[in-house]
Amino acid sequence: MPTFAASCHLFNATLSPTLSSRRRRLPSSASRNPSTAPSVKYSTPSKNPTSNSPPTLNPPVFTSLRKPFLAATAAAAAAASFSVLLHFSPVELCGGGFNPPGSGTGGGGGGGGGGGDFGGGGFWRKIFSAMPAAADELENTEWDSHGLPANIVVQLNKLSGFKKYKLSEILFFDKRRWTTVGTEDSFFEMVSLRPGGIYTKSQLQKELETLATCGMFEKVDMEGKTNPDGTMKLTISFTESTWQSADRFRCINVGLMPQSKPIEMDPDMTDKEKLDYYRSQEKDYRRRIDRARPCLLPASVHREILQMLRDQGKVSARLLQKIRDRVQKWYHDEGYACAQVVNFGNLNTKEVVCEVVEGDITQLLIQFQDKLGNVVEGNTQFPIIRRELPKQLRQGHVFNIEAGKQALRNVNSLALFSNIEVNPRPDEKNEGGIIVEIKLKELEQKQAEVSTEWSIVPGHGGRPTLASLQPGGTVSFEHRNIKGLNRSILGSVTTSNFLNPQDDLSFKLEYVHPYLDGVYNLTNRTLRASCFNSRKLSPVFTGGPGIDEVPPIWVDRAGMKANITENLTRQSKFTYGIVMEEVTTRDESSHISPNGQRVLPSGGISADGPPTTLSGTGVDRMAFIQANITRDNTKYVNGAIVGQRNVFQLDQGLGIGSKFPFFNRHQLTCTGFFQLKQVEEGAGKPPPPVLVLHGHYGGCVGDLPSYDAFTIGGPYSVRGYNMGELGAARNILELAAELRIPVKNTHMYIFAEHGNDLGSSKLVKGNPTEVYRRLGHGSSYGFGVKFGLVRAEYAVDHNSSTGSVFLRFGERF
Amino acid sequence: MASQLFREWAGIQQFPAATQTKLLELLGKLKQENVNTLTILVMGKGGVGKSSTVNSIVGERAVAVSAFQSEGPRPVMVSRTRAGFNLHIIDTPGLIEGGYVNFQTLEIIKRFLLEKSIDVLLYVDRLDTYRVDNLDKQIVRAITDSFGKEIWKKALIVLTHAQLSPPDCLEYDVFFARRSEALLKVVRSGAKIKKQDTWGSNIPFALVENSGRCNKNKNEEKIIAGGTAWIPNLVKTIIDVTLNGSKAIKVDKKLVEGPNPNRKWKEFIPLIFAVQYFFIIKPIQRAIKQDIAREARPAWEMRDTGSPLRKY
Repeated sequence: MPTFAASCHLFNATLSPTLSSRRRRLPSSASRNPSTAPSVKYSTPSKNPTSNSPPTLNPPVFTSLRKPFLAATAAAAAAASFSVLLHFSPVELCGGGFNPPGSGTGGGGGGGGGGGDFGGGGFWRKIFSAMPAAADELENTEWDSHGLPANIVVQLNKLSGFKKYKLSEILFFDKRRWTTVGTEDSFFEMVSLRPGGIYTKSQLQKELETLATCGMFEKVDMEGKTNPDGTMKLTISFTESTWQSADRFRCINVGLMPQSKPIEMDPDMTDKEKLDYYRSQEKDYRRRIDRARPCLLPASVHREILQMLRDQGKVSARLLQKIRDRVQKWYHDEGYACAQVVNFGNLNTKEVVCEVVEGDITQLLIQFQDKLGNVVEGNTQFPIIRRELPKQLRQGHVFNIEAGKQALRNVNSLALFSNIEVNPRPDEKNEGGIIVEIKLKELEQKQAEVSTEWSIVPGHGGRPTLASLQPGGTVSFEHRNIKGLNRSILGSVTTSNFLNPQDDLSFKLEYVHPYLDGVYNLTNRTLRASCFNSRKLSPVFTGGPGIDEVPPIWVDRAGMKANITENLTRQSKFTYGIVMEEVTTRDESSHISPNGQRVLPSGGISADGPPTTLSGTGVDRMAFIQANITRDNTKYVNGAIVGQRNVFQLDQGLGIGSKFPFFNRHQLTCTGFFQLKQVEEGAGKPPPPVLVLHGHYGGCVGDLPSYDAFTIGGPYSVRGYNMGELGAARNILELAAELRIPVKNTHMYIFAEHGNDLGSSKLVKGNPTEVYRRLGHGSSYGFGVKFGLVRAEYAVDHNSSTGSVFLRFGERF
Repeated sequence: MASQLFREWAGIQQFPAATQTKLLELLGKLKQENVNTLTILVMGKGGVGKSSTVNSIVGERAVAVSAFQSEGPRPVMVSRTRAGFNLHIIDTPGLIEGGYVNFQTLEIIKRFLLEKSIDVLLYVDRLDTYRVDNLDKQIVRAITDSFGKEIWKKALIVLTHAQLSPPDCLEYDVFFARRSEALLKVVRSGAKIKKQDTWGSNIPFALVENSGRCNKNKNEEKIIAGGTAWIPNLVKTIIDVTLNGSKAIKVDKKLVEGPNPNRKWKEFIPLIFAVQYFFIIKPIQRAIKQDIAREARPAWEMRDTGSPLRKY
């Protein structure tokens, strides 16, 4: 059953293996695996076709997806000079949860029960895997000796009805070619008997009937040859059905079309009546072809099949089987998992008509389930889900497994559901139709979480005391999917010490409002409004290599921001909004410090370093516009990232705030991932070597407080240096190159990076670069290996020519 | 108020009679030129003898001299008056700290000099150092960055520890010439004085020997090699520089703080914003549109794009 499930807490990365493991199952259910073939059985149609029976449609016969049967009377082919319809039955499509009657007991039950197991109604027992077939053999290890002299040929009807015969070997004998064909022949799969199997006479007879009525053979015979050890050698001799050669091929979609029902033909019809009857049959068929919709089958496959027809000359059953396999293979390869060749029509004319049920979607069902799997009324509004579904999954399109996967991914990215299933199932009311069911389990709408931790801070003398035990943690709450429109409110408060929360209390309150232009509008804009505060160590007040320690400056930001994000593609987006914030700079002991500090050679500390704020008071308030445009067309080629990413970020001061800050702070980042070798894509294939080129320019015109200065050095700037170790400047330029070479499952890389302040360090007030004795520029080079999310690298700091090993999380670019 | 602060230049009387005569003569020359105030700024590396030189000029122990430790981070101004003539000598702490130019000190000096005008800069270094290095250049550059290139027109390079026996049987004059040549080169490059500016190579030198064991001539004047009494010579050079026609360096707020980088181009911000919008944001948007158009769509998406015309 092509069902996809995704847990909501899974990342996309982990999602794909889940999918692929499902995908692997799918072709197996669609492939005609010889080991599973014998398990497909069908019950005999109630009336036996005779040579006089009408050369038309058979009584409805069914075939499973795995093994369509050609079901036409052999005699019909000979009798009719008109078109002959070779009829594959409508299919039990995709195996989607459809249980034929009797399969409930028959599935696990012994095959030895024979036909009795197959509840009437003309259904096959469906066995989905080879397991029950194996069970057949295991259960019936007892067999009876034939009780006849060795090496004599026995006709089928001469066998005893009470014995269970063991078949030592099954041979196929092509009477036309007068040769024995091997088990690799395409006909072999038609037969459910297997060497070593144990069968009763009735089973063998049934098998013979099956073969005789499937339309592939003009004539089939079965005879046994006794072996000395009591087993039997079975020979099936056959004459293949053939029709006159054709030079045209046509593929039509007959899905959802009513199956043409055979009109009972009176055996007492006169020849003229028969002729009329055949004519009307032919006319009906013509009409049927005209009404049918064109297939998705591309011209290339068409041509291929025409070539097959031309090469073959006569249209034989084998050829039809080959055509069917080819057509079905194309459909299944392209993800049309429900497509099925059901019939070949118009045989004995110049044209071969291949009737396909492609799997048209008749209905798209979205269901919500509770934890127990009961269908419930969901909170989420349907348009929210519907806009995530690809068009190809809507009513009227052909079901495609890839579209299903896409839908799964898209819906999963909403992060509203704990479980998602995209599930095609056959439409009972519309034969050949598919109902796509999307089953969703919603996450709790409201969620609150408290996580706590105790931290032990070394007290005086370095020994932890009871008083130094600090309770810390996070309190967060979330109200998701408000009004069913995926709006949400999130809040969190974090502190490392609940007893003294004013020290480092950080909070965040965010409201997210997606579908700003309406749920039905294709433009996907999301409004985010948040209050925040944060505390960060300023990398501006960091010492250069010669300086041991610079007293740190903490930058506290608290404020509000509101922005609108326009998702242009999955990865590219445009964000613009307004930020109002208060920036406070503090020293180690949380006192507001308007200037940086420095350690004097005498060991004293003087607080006359560069000014930390624009206002000079240690507290700045400002409002500015923030815009960010990201263009990202990167994609994964066998796990290696390839493509380009450009980011432009702009902070435009508005002259509102302390000292009327007016500035234009901009950054442009360009990163290119260039694939150096073309590789074959696919799971398990090695990734290509990739060259990464990266450039980052940052600049500011106008008022620039030191906390907004661009710092050089650090794991995301110039590796091998500490954060801000190279300087803090008004304009910076960083260049980097990295060569990634795949090694086994991961990759190794070598890199070289350079960061430069472009001589603009002195344009930052107080010149923190020079005060803390930094060079203002620097390069590094090194190499590293990636282990999952962790990078282990050795970087050489070019300024001091010393190397060191780093372990970092995440990607540099 | 000023008269209270400015002490009488008593130290002048301690000089030998010959020196006193010469000094008064020189001061008279200044008077003639209508110069009543002379401000001298003394700068240089730590421990080269800046304070001692100041003391030598004033003729008394006006500034504390410590041989092994820097004077502390504050500049000191020594003011003396003599017959209506005011002499200000500003002694500064050494500019080098831990192998780097100490910009903090420089900053303090600049702030101290606010609203003063510098008539002469005494750039002090030792004569008995053989090499010049990058640090010298950095100091020169720092001074230039702080006060402008023009200050070197009012500069005088003072070489202390002048009483020495040159190494490797070099002639004293040759050694002095080489040392001064090297220093000049550093100053010229550090201050980025162009080659064609001849004044750059005409920065005068003065030799100083502050040690008490300094040789003296018959008039009890301290002399250095060649027999010149160095104090009158130094004062003479200072007065020459004062009167060389270049303007005194006026230290005002603008000079101290430098041009405010936050002001630069500020009026162009709206223009910059417009350029960014049209020449960066817009092209990126276009590129994204191209990406969308170029995106490799899966075949199933391409094949089945039509609207469902089929009715059921």
